[in-house]
Amino acid sequence: MTDEKRFSPEAQRYLDGEPVDGLDQTELAAADLFGQVIQDYAASLRTPGAEVDRAVMDAIVPRARNHRPASFWRWLVQPHLFTVRPALVAAAAITLVAIGALTIDIPGFTGGEQAAGTTTDQPATILVRFELRAPDADEVTLAGSFNDWSPQGVQLVKNAASGLWTATVPLTPGEHQYLFVIDGSQWIPDPSAHAQVDDGFGQANSVIVVGPRGVVRS
Amino acid sequence: MPALLFWSWWCLLSEMGSQSDAVLVRRILDGQVELFQVLVERYRTEFGRYATAMLGGDVDDAADALQEAFIRAYRSLASCRDRERFKAWLFRIVSNQCHNTRRARRRHVSLDRIEEPEDSAAARRVDDTEIGQTIEAALNELTGEQREAFVLKHVEGYSYAEMASLLDVGEDALKMRVHRARDELRHKLEGLR
Repeated sequence: MTDEKRFSPEAQRYLDGEPVDGLDQTELAAADLFGQVIQDYAASLRTPGAEVDRAVMDAIVPRARNHRPASFWRWLVQPHLFTVRPALVAAAAITLVAIGALTIDIPGFTGGEQAAGTTTDQPATILVRFELRAPDADEVTLAGSFNDWSPQGVQLVKNAASGLWTATVPLTPGEHQYLFVIDGSQWIPDPSAHAQVDDGFGQANSVIVVGPRGVVRS
Repeated sequence: MPALLFWSWWCLLSEMGSQSDAVLVRRILDGQVELFQVLVERYRTEFGRYATAMLGGDVDDAADALQEAFIRAYRSLASCRDRERFKAWLFRIVSNQCHNTRRARRRHVSLDRIEEPEDSAAARRVDDTEIGQTIEAALNELTGEQREAFVLKHVEGYSYAEMASLLDVGEDALKMRVHRARDELRHKLEGLR
């Protein structure tokens, strides 16, 4: 390709959307024409439609139901963290109140009365100690269902002499799954865990069961 | 009251669509598989245009590649550890699928030419003008990296910073790929005159 067929560095910067000085009028016209042609081409491209959504969901939903029949029950017994938006809660409350007002005849209901306050019992937390022997590791963290699988969530502390990494974590009663993360990249199950379960995607997670009075099984 | 009800329901329905990718991924892995559709709808158009351009304007091939990529993404969703960067993770799967489709198509191209009537092939093109076909032909002659960079810059309209985040490649290297692709395309388009 000859240099005449190449854009000058200034024209390239112009096409990149950067400010340029002293761009030759011929080059400017060529760059503008090129930009317009490519823009027209991009606009002419069709994109896949909603049939992709249906095909994907048809392929994965039966698969998920067949391979994870107990997921609902597992979800019921596992602890969960929920994030809520005040506006959403207000919207849900208004919806429920409105539906109630429309469907149930409540004598004296004015919509302005406030319900009596209720209290929610917080489940007690149990302190659980996690250990991993990894003398060559520079950093070990703990990621699990109790911290949204965040590898930055729980840092273990190393005993330099023994090479043993430890951390004590408050957990709510229930079944928790977890993995150790070595040096930020290597995810491994706990070799001392009593149970490992398939996470449904071909990998093993360690399992710990915490009861109201302490660890039931680890 | 009807307006209040409508507003309340609208808030509830739009809540799922406004959830971050990371929250949706966590919920899907917790068993709410149906929420995967929110992610599919969120990225279908954006990545669909990319796939169409990468596959020579063939929207049917692009739909197949995109569908396969989404299914692969779902099956390996647990391996997406950095959920805040789900988009970049998904893009790599879509990109790899497009490259696989192109490779498979090259292997079968001679057979396709024999079996497929010429009129049918022409009908599947998004743009049957000479310029459109020339652009597609020129894009096909670029290296995979140049084609990808050019499509992201000029078809998707991404900034170099966005491209660097998606591809995990430095901005200077991406600029070089785009500049070379422009020169090649200009060369091809000049030949039309």
